[in-house]
Amino acid sequence: MSINTIAHALADTSLATALSDSSWLFGTVESIHVLALTLVIGSIALVDLRLIGVGPARGTADQVLRRLLPFTLGGFALAAATGSVLIFANPIGYSQNFWFGAKFSLLALAGINALAFHLFAQGKLLVDGALAPRVSGAISLLLWTAIIVSGRWIGYTI
Amino acid sequence: MTTLTAFADWLAASPLPPLVTSHDWLVPAIQVVHILAIAAVLIASVHINLRVLNVLESDVALADVAGRFLPILWGALGVLALTGVLLIASEPNRAIFRTVFWVKLALATLATLATATQPRLALTGGQGATMAGGGQKVLAVLALILWALTVYAGRWIAYADSWPGAPG
Repeated sequence: MSINTIAHALADTSLATALSDSSWLFGTVESIHVLALTLVIGSIALVDLRLIGVGPARGTADQVLRRLLPFTLGGFALAAATGSVLIFANPIGYSQNFWFGAKFSLLALAGINALAFHLFAQGKLLVDGALAPRVSGAISLLLWTAIIVSGRWIGYTI
Repeated sequence: MTTLTAFADWLAASPLPPLVTSHDWLVPAIQVVHILAIAAVLIASVHINLRVLNVLESDVALADVAGRFLPILWGALGVLALTGVLLIASEPNRAIFRTVFWVKLALATLATLATATQPRLALTGGQGATMAGGGQKVLAVLALILWALTVYAGRWIAYADSWPGAPG
């Protein structure tokens, strides 16, 4: 099944009709999406900055990570759920949009970076001056900023 | 309304509108900075208000949490004000003539006041420990709700209609 077939199938749902018919549904779901993504980026940024060795978060990098992980995961779950609903508003348009594809590619890269951190860098958190956690934090900050950029650009190119 | 129209006219005649509209990518780029600053405001407010509720950093004094996160709140609010003015300048006759824009500013002001006064409200107990009273905890919940509503109202500026008779 091609992306195009899926997009047409999504456009043919009652959710798609509801989103285009309602004057408040899209904006409301979008607001919750913005709220959720700011929570994701805010909590991730604090962890990343702590990995780099700066920022306001108190405690070891491992403590900061454990403390803020519920906010990152909760925010991400909410952003994913609301984002999935928003796709129904214009599935064909999104499927053909460059920035939409870019955003999902960057999200995948952020996921790979998080996995690489878990496998290779997390064990070195207590090693003084270890490079891996710093590099991982810097890459994460760049990727999440790029995700926000591509997300915002979708709205201007759709 | 006349003061507002005069302000919009003045802003429209200033060098800002041609500057921010000189490149197609500039307005969305300013919006990205605006969103990142919202993230900073929210995570700072979440730390302060959830500390009051004993959910986050409960082993640390509220004064210490506020000492680290209030400067971030003020700095990010400064970035929001600056990028906000630039976004208004990109379309001087748009946002300021919509009720929801002023609702957003009112909500943001209340949320800021509720968050920033938290460290002053804490009762100082023995050995410098701080305790939050019931009223203070209600204020913390209220502050977080106000921030969420601010984001909602902010996003709604894009969809709301201008006042009848507004320029544009």
